[in-house]
Amino acid sequence: MGLRRELPERVTRLAWILLILGVVLYGAGYLLDAKRAAFNNVVGFLFLASVAGGAIFLIALEYLAGAVWSVPMRRATEFLAALTLVVPLLAVPLLFHLHDLFHWTHGEAVAAEKVLAGKAPYLDIDFFIIRFAAVFLVWNFFYFLFVRNSTKQDSTRDPKLTTNNVRLAAVFMPVFAITVTLTVVDWAMSLEPNWYSTILGVYYFSGTVLAALSAATYAIIKFHENGYLPNLRRDHFYSLGALLFAFINFWAYIAFSQFLLIWYANLPEETFWFIKRWKEGWEYVSILLIIVHFVVPYFALLTQDSKMDTKRLKLMSIWILFAHLLDLYWLVMPTYGEGIPFGWMEIGFPILLVGLALVVLSYKVKRNNMIPVGDPKLERGLSFHL
Amino acid sequence: MNEQHLFAITALFDTPEEIVHAAQEASKAGYTRFDVNTPYPVHGMDKAMRLKPSRIGVFALVFGLLGVFSAVGFMTWVTLVNYPLVIGGKPFWSWPAFVPIAFEVTVILASVLTVVTMIVLYFRFPNNAHPLHDTPYMKRVSSDKFGINIQADDPKFDEKEIRAFLGRIGGKEISPIYFDAEEFEHGQKLFDPKFLGVLAVTALVVSAMTYVVFNKVLYMEPFSWMSAQEKLKAQQPSELFKDGIGMRPPVEGTVARGFLPYAFKGKPDEAGRFLANPLLSTKEVLERGKSRYMTFCSPCHGNFGRGDSRLQGQFPNPPTLHSDKVRNWPDGNIYHVMTDGQNIMPSYATQISKDDRWAIVQYIRVLQRAQNAKESDLK
Amino acid sequence: MSTAVIDYTREVPVVEGRPKASELDATIAAPLDQFPSRAWWIAFSVTLLLLTIGAVCVGLTIYKGLGLWGVNQPVSWGFDIVNFVFWIGIGHAGTLISAILFLLRQRWRTGIARFAEAMTIFAVMCAGIFPLLHTGRPWLPMYLTPYPNQHSLWVNFTSPLVWDVFAVTTYFTVSLVFWYLGLIPDLASLRDRTTSKIKKLIYSVFSLGWRHSNRHWQHYERAYLILAGFATPLVLSVHTIVSFDFAVSVIPGWHTTIFPPYFVAGAVFSGFAMVQNVLIFVRQAFNLKHIITLDHLEKMNKVMIVTGSMVGYAYAMEFFIAWYSGNQFEQFVFLNRALGPYAWAYWTMVTCNVVFPQLFWFKKIRRSIPVMFAIGILVNVGMWFERFVIVVTSLSRDFLPSSWGHYVPTMYDVGILLGSFGLFFTLILIFVRVLPVVSISEVKAAVEGAQPTHD
Repeated sequence: MGLRRELPERVTRLAWILLILGVVLYGAGYLLDAKRAAFNNVVGFLFLASVAGGAIFLIALEYLAGAVWSVPMRRATEFLAALTLVVPLLAVPLLFHLHDLFHWTHGEAVAAEKVLAGKAPYLDIDFFIIRFAAVFLVWNFFYFLFVRNSTKQDSTRDPKLTTNNVRLAAVFMPVFAITVTLTVVDWAMSLEPNWYSTILGVYYFSGTVLAALSAATYAIIKFHENGYLPNLRRDHFYSLGALLFAFINFWAYIAFSQFLLIWYANLPEETFWFIKRWKEGWEYVSILLIIVHFVVPYFALLTQDSKMDTKRLKLMSIWILFAHLLDLYWLVMPTYGEGIPFGWMEIGFPILLVGLALVVLSYKVKRNNMIPVGDPKLERGLSFHL
Repeated sequence: MNEQHLFAITALFDTPEEIVHAAQEASKAGYTRFDVNTPYPVHGMDKAMRLKPSRIGVFALVFGLLGVFSAVGFMTWVTLVNYPLVIGGKPFWSWPAFVPIAFEVTVILASVLTVVTMIVLYFRFPNNAHPLHDTPYMKRVSSDKFGINIQADDPKFDEKEIRAFLGRIGGKEISPIYFDAEEFEHGQKLFDPKFLGVLAVTALVVSAMTYVVFNKVLYMEPFSWMSAQEKLKAQQPSELFKDGIGMRPPVEGTVARGFLPYAFKGKPDEAGRFLANPLLSTKEVLERGKSRYMTFCSPCHGNFGRGDSRLQGQFPNPPTLHSDKVRNWPDGNIYHVMTDGQNIMPSYATQISKDDRWAIVQYIRVLQRAQNAKESDLK
Repeated sequence: MSTAVIDYTREVPVVEGRPKASELDATIAAPLDQFPSRAWWIAFSVTLLLLTIGAVCVGLTIYKGLGLWGVNQPVSWGFDIVNFVFWIGIGHAGTLISAILFLLRQRWRTGIARFAEAMTIFAVMCAGIFPLLHTGRPWLPMYLTPYPNQHSLWVNFTSPLVWDVFAVTTYFTVSLVFWYLGLIPDLASLRDRTTSKIKKLIYSVFSLGWRHSNRHWQHYERAYLILAGFATPLVLSVHTIVSFDFAVSVIPGWHTTIFPPYFVAGAVFSGFAMVQNVLIFVRQAFNLKHIITLDHLEKMNKVMIVTGSMVGYAYAMEFFIAWYSGNQFEQFVFLNRALGPYAWAYWTMVTCNVVFPQLFWFKKIRRSIPVMFAIGILVNVGMWFERFVIVVTSLSRDFLPSSWGHYVPTMYDVGILLGSFGLFFTLILIFVRVLPVVSISEVKAAVEGAQPTHD
């Protein structure tokens, strides 16, 4: 055990190619159609933020719940959480295009509308940037502490570090709730500054957990199949599959609740947001979202066997990652207001996200143990049986 | 019956490891009609006994789907076919509103029916007549021991061999279990007379109670207070009034709504002077006037107001409406004749509303102009 | 600060010591064979008294009508609906413990699941009284169900009040079935150890002839898993549908999308407080401290702080969005709650739900029986007041000031509330004497050494 290896050359090479290609595509996008690029950028930013933040959440959850089955696999999640450093960079171009994205940055329009003027203390560019910076400072702070304790434990094997991380996790949870809510309120809800929904934070949270869980599941299974994490069994994978299934249901429950309440009360100040997603072609995207994000994964992961089957889990991880991207696209893009954008930008921009993730993974794998060798729960985790 | 029919040979074990091992050995030895009894499910036992995986989940899926489709189907039929109602301005078929009930029905059908299926079909319960009941063996495995029983109807059954086998694998208190003489004769029927009897009695009791509650109790006080109210309904007698009639005529001088007394009764000239037609000669007014005229006036006055109606000979014909006198009458006079009557023409005030009478007046004007058309009208 | 370092390499045993299976039989079945103690009789007379008060108030309400209650226009929902939501919420802890913790493989649920499920069933029974009574004609309950009738009328399937009928019925039925399924093996064990002929007959009938056969255990375990898998979304759906009663309306303070998960979290929060409170008595009275351990109570307190934080998050989110929305009616609702005529109820709620449970961050408090008991009581009080604040403040002052009104509960309202507690605890007291409060077979399976070691 211990295993400090590198990802194969071809993977690292692919990672850099995708990253550079992604940057080029982003650059071209901003040069050719800045507004459309900015909107795609928001989708990509929210996507990678959910993978990164969700990964920290999963680490914290393992410590807080005292879970044992996930300990051998925790490093993969820690590697994904390293994206927290890089995600703010994705938002940098956005900071230069706030006017293209957010109606509330248009001072005169805001002053003319009483309701918008009332929100101006919150929807203010400076405060917006401060909140964004604060969220990522906080996430990075917790990431570093978690990972430092976990890595230190590899050499010292000190169980007190686990206790420290458990306490850290307890503090992190409410902080995460607030920061994840701020992220979606600021970057998605304020795109339509007249609209509001108290459940949107929970909605984005459910997608966040799914994104991190899917990315981790895929990475873990790939590591396992290529000998980086040899000691895993069907029993370990079952929990990943069960969690994926549970959160698919949770996402559907939150999404449907939000829709039902707004549909039922029929208040124009709320319904316009959904009506926008049911006109001019968006109705097909909405239906596609339900099928892709709920119906297919539900039946694909329903049986006990499917939750343990690595082939099924790999497929559904990628599928759910795509579904989450679609979810964010559905959340953000209708505000772009010029039909349903689908072209080289929409297909090309996610390449940067994949490249970033692989580059970060490659970097972390090279410099860290694949398994938390010093974790006191490791033995129990490796011998875990359903 | 003195003959004792052997059901099985049993043995007890002290630890879960031993019982799993015992099951493995029994399977390996080729026994199939055997069972293991443990106070709680022991891990790995299913594999040791080489049991096929339980397929009860299929029932849950089937019942669940039944629940979804029946709930959605029923609600769809009610709201689209049987009794469509506009509720809250929403479309007749509001599928988001069906989701909660469809979900609940799915869960209740899947859960309850799966358990019932398991109990009735898989276990064939209730069954308190099994040979293992009330034996020292059962008492031990109910509490703290693990037991194995190899049944007499196993194809490889041989009492001596099995006793030896059980001894070999460490079984203790190896003992035979016999069928209860009566139970052996009876067997296990689904349509057991006692069971049917209980069903019949239950059905009878429930029906009787339902009948009594819905047809008797709900008509008793206080449940009858909403339906049997103290107020007077139409056509009911009353002791309050001398004539015993509940319904009373309106008090002298009462005026019904919309039926203010006609101010110009018997005064045609004043009617002509003071009443003005409140309706304009619009298309709607004229169409209304025409339809009312054809209904009420044409039987006597004829279709064109000439007085040449189809009642010729059977009822005196009225004078033509196109005489100079009528043409020069103000609207109020014509209205007055309809309201108060004239000669043998009765008052039509109760049949034709005020607005309709004015509309008819407008229509009569049209008829009059049509019957006395000038060339200039064609322009 | 605890100085003892936790040993992460060992799993904390679910049952302390290594009691033998026969000892567990004796311990858990003891109350069923013994005549109740004086303490039990005293408790029983208190609960019966409360139940009687409630029964009298209910009887008078049925006879004289809802005018006896304090409900009026505009506050047409008062104690009736507050109590309904409160009791349904209490029930949720039971299903969460028995179903959700089962799916999450949290084996510490073993000692508490039976009792918690029983509490669910009793809580739902208490809850069901209120919608029935508040219709005004409780002798016509079938009007709430879709049966063919001579009016050719159906229920309004699009109304959350009808969804409630289906949800609560399903919840009660499935909880009962789940609870009964778990009881079958225990009833069989009791059948085989009792010496009383009458009890033997009753146990035989209700155990259906269970023989502890592994061929049956196999299907039984699968069915149990399936039921747990259904019960989990069911419990989420029930309180979600209850929240829909409010959230589908347009009333400020009611119409907000976060209600479903907020209500579910709040239900688990109050339910766990009630379960924790009652279990403290049960484990003491029936010598079950090694089965319902301090560790288990501590875990329940952790669940309380998690769900309490979710409730706090919802409060904050509602407040923020009320401001953010710019909707003056929504903004007024929150000012009114904090400063208006029911401010006393609001601040009770905030103190009990948000402030006091923060003490559970400290391990010493999580493991102190008197303090956790007090916090549990406060949480229940706070959660009752939360429902009161939501229902009454939003109704008493909504859009038009000319329609505003005040709600004052009458003694009949209070009497029925007391009666519901009386019913709940009476049922619990009867339960502990008639059925095993801990699942005998599950506990036997959870003792160290109960399962064969893996090779």
